[in-house]
Amino acid sequence: MVQKPTGPGGLPLPRTDNSVTWAITDENKPVKDGGSPEPGPLRVFNYADYIDPATLKKFQKEFSTKVEVATYNSADEAIAKLSSGAVDFDLIMGLSGSNIVDLIAHRLLAPLNHSYLPNLEKNVWAELADPFYDRGSHYTVPYVVWMDGIGWRNDKVKEDIAGMDVPWDIFWQAQAYRGKVGILDDRRDALSMPMQRDAMHKGVRPDLNTEDEDVVNKAQADLSELSGICNPKVAITDYQTLPEGKTVLHHSWSGDVLAAAFYYLPEGTPPDVLSFWGPDENGVVQNDFFCIGKGTKRPVLAHSFINFMLDEKNAYDNFVNFNGYVPPQKGIDADVLLKQDLIPKTLESAVVRPDQFASNQELLQLSVTGQRFWDDAWSKFKAG
Amino acid sequence: MSGSRWTWRLVALPGVAWLSVFFLVAFYTVLAVAFGNQDTLSQPVPHWNPLDWNVGYVSEMLDNFWHGGPFWTVSLRTIQFVALAVLLSLLIGYPVAYFTAMHAGRWKGAILLALILPLWINYLMRMLAWINLLAPDGVGSDVLHSVGIEDLFLSIGLLDEPGGWLNGQPVTVILALLYGYIPFFILPLFVAIDRIDRRQIDAARDLGASPASAFFRVTLPLSWAGILAGAVLIALPMFGDYYTADLVSASTQTNMIGNQIDEFMRQGSEKVTGAALTLLLSTFLLALMFYYLRTTRRAGTAAEV
Repeated sequence: MVQKPTGPGGLPLPRTDNSVTWAITDENKPVKDGGSPEPGPLRVFNYADYIDPATLKKFQKEFSTKVEVATYNSADEAIAKLSSGAVDFDLIMGLSGSNIVDLIAHRLLAPLNHSYLPNLEKNVWAELADPFYDRGSHYTVPYVVWMDGIGWRNDKVKEDIAGMDVPWDIFWQAQAYRGKVGILDDRRDALSMPMQRDAMHKGVRPDLNTEDEDVVNKAQADLSELSGICNPKVAITDYQTLPEGKTVLHHSWSGDVLAAAFYYLPEGTPPDVLSFWGPDENGVVQNDFFCIGKGTKRPVLAHSFINFMLDEKNAYDNFVNFNGYVPPQKGIDADVLLKQDLIPKTLESAVVRPDQFASNQELLQLSVTGQRFWDDAWSKFKAG
Repeated sequence: MSGSRWTWRLVALPGVAWLSVFFLVAFYTVLAVAFGNQDTLSQPVPHWNPLDWNVGYVSEMLDNFWHGGPFWTVSLRTIQFVALAVLLSLLIGYPVAYFTAMHAGRWKGAILLALILPLWINYLMRMLAWINLLAPDGVGSDVLHSVGIEDLFLSIGLLDEPGGWLNGQPVTVILALLYGYIPFFILPLFVAIDRIDRRQIDAARDLGASPASAFFRVTLPLSWAGILAGAVLIALPMFGDYYTADLVSASTQTNMIGNQIDEFMRQGSEKVTGAALTLLLSTFLLALMFYYLRTTRRAGTAAEV
């Protein structure tokens, strides 16, 4: 039998064919049922600009409390700060399956008590209410979902990208858009893009969590080819540069393209100049979590916050008024947004559907050795 | 006499202690991480005792350099960018410093103030402003077009297409570095030129030197220490700079060594590799620094003679 690679601290690496139930131990038990929310402030640790201030205000008013948000700029930064023990939060938002083993291995999380989270079962997609990376949702609850795809300005790029046999090929044919092309500045997302392209050409299902050094190096070589073809920017500012026309073709997170249509279009630029394509299968889907910090002194208040954010109205407001990333709610889909004229038809596929979660892949935490292959390949690509 | 010497030593003590603690301790930490290891959670484990040092990461890095790997590519690019930016600073900055020191008269204070004024605005804000100025429809782009610089750069291949200043062009990064750091070059150079004893120049002229000859044989050698000080002052931070290239380009073709360190330390899980790279950069800068100190000491000795 082949030994499966293990994650940090020797813990199992969750995969769709290897679901994991994280243990709840005696020394780290969930808060008891029936408690009242403790007095604040509720200390939240979140990605910068990743929650609507108006939604926060509403929570503060409803629970007569204060919320203090501290922010981080990358998941690694968040894990490093949390595991150093220097910071202590009631609620941690924005981390994903790429970090789940780190969160568990460093013992950073308190287990959840579902009696405080009725909205989880009521509103959240069944696909994510009991996910393979955290069976029973012992430690995590999904916040928002997104997928990797191609965002482009259809008034500047004339190719029918969505109609191409392998839409990813557009980046390797983008000589005409040289200097106005962008690739996501994230090693896992960026390197998995040529892997998807390669698999689409061969008609096979890629393993986007591969630990095969040759596959990772091939992806890097393919990605590096782009420098000669279109000299891409490596950036995560597509939500600004696409609507402003500073880039016209971008490897994008679906949520950024929606945010671009919601808030970043210059006056006089209609939203239907933005298009998005994302694969129905074998591509990248991701979801970010709500988690409760292990050291919390306000566990009931923290649960109340999660339940509040899982309320359909609050999730919707946070999505369309600020965040742009879709909450995995049963009642929110592309039709709802199209009917309310919030997005043009050209961005319909940027609203991730539940069925895409089964047929696409999440980028999950790798073993230390596997991570090294991806890091080295990325460093090679970034060196130019 | 000895009493006064002790007073000055005491006065210097807090500053020396501050630098020792915040330079030496921080530097030793980088050493201990670079010669350390990482745990199963990919977190760095510093080896504080030099007897326990693990040379693996540093030697892997040296191997990468030696065999022309990505770190070599990016270091070579960084050296080119910094050397060109320093050279341009000299070509543009020397006349400004010379004019201010020698001919500005009562405008001297105003010119110095004008040089310092941009520094009141945060470096990042100044770079962000350039993004709008250099956009295809930006004012800066228009000006460069109308004065013919755009055409010149297009014809010699420094620019890909009209208005394409932000399309990941090395020349934009070099010019942005030049803009960001040039005041720090001009100020020490101004001081050096301002301190030159004009009678030495007069003597050269009296002995038959032409103005050009007096400049090259008297003024320039006497301002050499200022040129070096300015060059060192701007080259050191330029070598570690990463946000300039990030903001005005973001292409892999313009990434500098600072971008690689940022990648390892802030974004990635290979902090030990990042520390090893930091160490190699510091060693290189230390060598530059020693060259500067040796040259200025020699110049000082020569002046005394």
